[in-house]
Amino acid sequence: MDAGFLMGLLINGLVIGVIYALVAIGLSLIFGVLEIVNFAHGEFYMLGAIAAYFLVANAGFGYWPAVLVVTLVAVCLGYVLFEALLGGLRGESFERSILLTLGLSMVLQNGAVFLFTTTPKMMTTPLSYATLTLGDLRISVVRLYALGLGLAAFALLYVVLYRTRIGKAMRGVAQNRNAALMVGIDPHVVARLAVAIGIGLSGLAGAALAPVYAVHPLMGFAFVFKAFAIIIIGGLGNVSGAALAALALGVLETLIGGFLPLVMVDALAFGAMILVLLVKPHGLFGRGVRV
Amino acid sequence: MSAAPLLEVRGLTKRYLGLTALDSLSYSVEPGAVVGIIGPNGSGKSTNVDCISGFQGADAGHWFLDGVELTGLPAHRIAQTGLVRSFQNVQAYDEMTLLENLCVARQEIDGIGWWATLARSARLREGEAAAEARGRELLALVGLAEFAQAPAAILSYGQRKLLAIAACLMARPKLIILDEPVAGVNPTMIRHIAQVIRKLNAEGIALIIIEHNVDFVMSLCRRVIVIEAGRKIADASPAVVRADPRVLAAYLGRAGAAEAQGAHG
Amino acid sequence: MTAAGVTVAGVTVAGALRFLLPAGACAVLLLLPRLTANEYLFALGVSFATFSVLAGGLNLVYGYTGLLSFAQVGFFGIGAYAAALLVTEQQWPFLAAVAAAGAIATVAGLVIGYSSLRLSRHAFAIVTLSFALLCMIVARDWVSLTRGAMGIPGLPAPVLNLPAGLSWRIASPADFHWLMTIFAIAANALIYLVMTSRLGRAMRAIRQNEALARSQGINPLAYRLLALGLSALLAGLAGGLFVFYLTIVDPSVFDFYYTETMLIMVIIGGAGSFWGVLVSTAVLTVVPDLLRFSTDLRMVLYGVILIIVMLVFPGGIGGWLRKRGVARWRSVRVAKS
Repeated sequence: MDAGFLMGLLINGLVIGVIYALVAIGLSLIFGVLEIVNFAHGEFYMLGAIAAYFLVANAGFGYWPAVLVVTLVAVCLGYVLFEALLGGLRGESFERSILLTLGLSMVLQNGAVFLFTTTPKMMTTPLSYATLTLGDLRISVVRLYALGLGLAAFALLYVVLYRTRIGKAMRGVAQNRNAALMVGIDPHVVARLAVAIGIGLSGLAGAALAPVYAVHPLMGFAFVFKAFAIIIIGGLGNVSGAALAALALGVLETLIGGFLPLVMVDALAFGAMILVLLVKPHGLFGRGVRV
Repeated sequence: MSAAPLLEVRGLTKRYLGLTALDSLSYSVEPGAVVGIIGPNGSGKSTNVDCISGFQGADAGHWFLDGVELTGLPAHRIAQTGLVRSFQNVQAYDEMTLLENLCVARQEIDGIGWWATLARSARLREGEAAAEARGRELLALVGLAEFAQAPAAILSYGQRKLLAIAACLMARPKLIILDEPVAGVNPTMIRHIAQVIRKLNAEGIALIIIEHNVDFVMSLCRRVIVIEAGRKIADASPAVVRADPRVLAAYLGRAGAAEAQGAHG
Repeated sequence: MTAAGVTVAGVTVAGALRFLLPAGACAVLLLLPRLTANEYLFALGVSFATFSVLAGGLNLVYGYTGLLSFAQVGFFGIGAYAAALLVTEQQWPFLAAVAAAGAIATVAGLVIGYSSLRLSRHAFAIVTLSFALLCMIVARDWVSLTRGAMGIPGLPAPVLNLPAGLSWRIASPADFHWLMTIFAIAANALIYLVMTSRLGRAMRAIRQNEALARSQGINPLAYRLLALGLSALLAGLAGGLFVFYLTIVDPSVFDFYYTETMLIMVIIGGAGSFWGVLVSTAVLTVVPDLLRFSTDLRMVLYGVILIIVMLVFPGGIGGWLRKRGVARWRSVRVAKS
């Protein structure tokens, strides 16, 4: 067992885990604040990657500017999405929201297939082949950047959720909607910000990781199922639970993938989800105070 | 009081989040009795109903209907044994007609299984006809006959309460628990509902009435149970309960009770 | 008194139409191969028949019992693989293989149902969706069982042994049209029987007000399992038959496209409306083909329709009709008070 190999797997696992976490946190936040399962969430990850690809390949942007632009656009898109479609929905009309976001996913996914075809595209930047060597370890620089971006996003999110008034309001609504309403929190404003942040994180994840894997219109689809499994494992609506579950899954998948066939890796997320549901139906970390 | 009790509740206890909602509550109801349960807000009246009808789990205690133990049974099984309840926030099947609402209430009780139902056997057809006939009878009893084919969504609040009572009857109950049957209802409707309840009781059905409207309870019930903080603090005829100092204290607080006693005494 | 209320010999016009229209439609479908040799129509017929069973089952589960389940396609695919494997690997006769496929799919349905019905509605939707995806992953990756992404091609034409010593070799598009249409008529008849019986009424009660239903002696778990099991059975049988029409079984039988399409059919027709869903299935089978849209654009259109319907008319056509009925009665009640 080569320590370098193991460390390499671990770091890759963390990178994947951080990306899963960005997407899962967004999904969890939206669910926690709006009680909506956003089926189109994976599509924003995909759009982020595709947008980054085009900015770099066709418009000559560098990696960092591309990621920044995509993230900002994603946040604005989230804002627009909320105002146009989701704002009118309430948590009780549960099927309506699932089917609405499913419809959105169908439009985005198939529209992307129609416009870009399913041929995967590889994004090449000067960074693509750069690696960092630390002793035994060789890590791709792009992965490190992605990891760094992810951690920076977490830090920013932490600041927003725990140190700003609106962030606290968001946590309040996620924990106990009625109490938050009674205290005078405006659910519309809070929900809008939650959607904007959620979509923004998804877009960021897609853009950050675009140089690492091939970009194609169906990449969001497979991804989003893992994100669902993660938020179920962490507890629906529990943002930190989602983050922890995501990191754990990323690391486990990569470690296992180093030694076992691919099908095991894909099935891991679902297997874990089913196990958790059988044993602790509210997720490993539950929903907190909310009944 | 020599008859065996129809309903017997012993030591019913329910706790949640560190609070004791019901504290070893015990009481019984004789066949054909009309018993009222009153108590201040949060005293546990509705929790009591939820527990014995199987909608919430009890932490301790046993209860029996006609000698058959109901403890721990799921709500649908308890309903099938003859203990029927209504809901505080009146429930109905909005998309079904009034008649359908009533037929649904009967269908699990008349003992016709799935195969016979699917095969449309003669037994099923007879059962449906009987249910429909009984449904029309009950709609007439509560004064809603003209809306038999209308969807329940169009009823006014008071009319929904009447429908709920009719639905309770469809299930051939031995005991009906009415949870706040006249809350939020106008005085005319209150009198109408009281009349319906008296007619039911005349047919031999036992009733438990949970209510905030103390006058309503006192006028209808021959026996009144008072619950406070999950415990029974009185169980007697309306007149006795009205004068009981503990009951007055529960509703009015100690100072208020003393004042009221002074006014009465 | 409207024209529909006019009575002739005790039978109203409306009542007669209600019987004649579906009977007529069935007759046309069954006689189609005698009326034309257009193979394109037979292909549409097979598609309509198959989707009518899938959408009908989903209608029972979602429209009647109120469960938003995405697992249908999983049962369809399991039935397909089971029938194909039993015929090619174990040399089972066709009908026995299809029957077994249905039984296996039913067991899968009951297992999934029993384990996920205690979950919240959100978790239930996610779990059924994951189940369907998991089926696809297993079909693609468990190569020793399913031959992986290549699938099992070259399924033989089924031979049905009929009474009186006849045998029917099902190979041409017309033959498959007959097979699927006969199956679809029987399956939909069963669905209709359940929906219009007390069983269907209990399911509707559970969807509209579960607490009230429990307080009246109705066991929600039993009825939900019934709906799920029955829809799984029918989907499994449909899959077992359909796969011989395709003559190949591969992971694409679990494609999300089936789920999206049957969902649109149910939503537009109105969840809970038997005839509404049949009509929308027919329309959505024929029209997109006529318009010659590419599959992707068709899906984009479906997505747009889904969004608009959810924003404006969540009950579909059936729901809109029901609301009009309620409004009519409301004015009666107000007039009387």
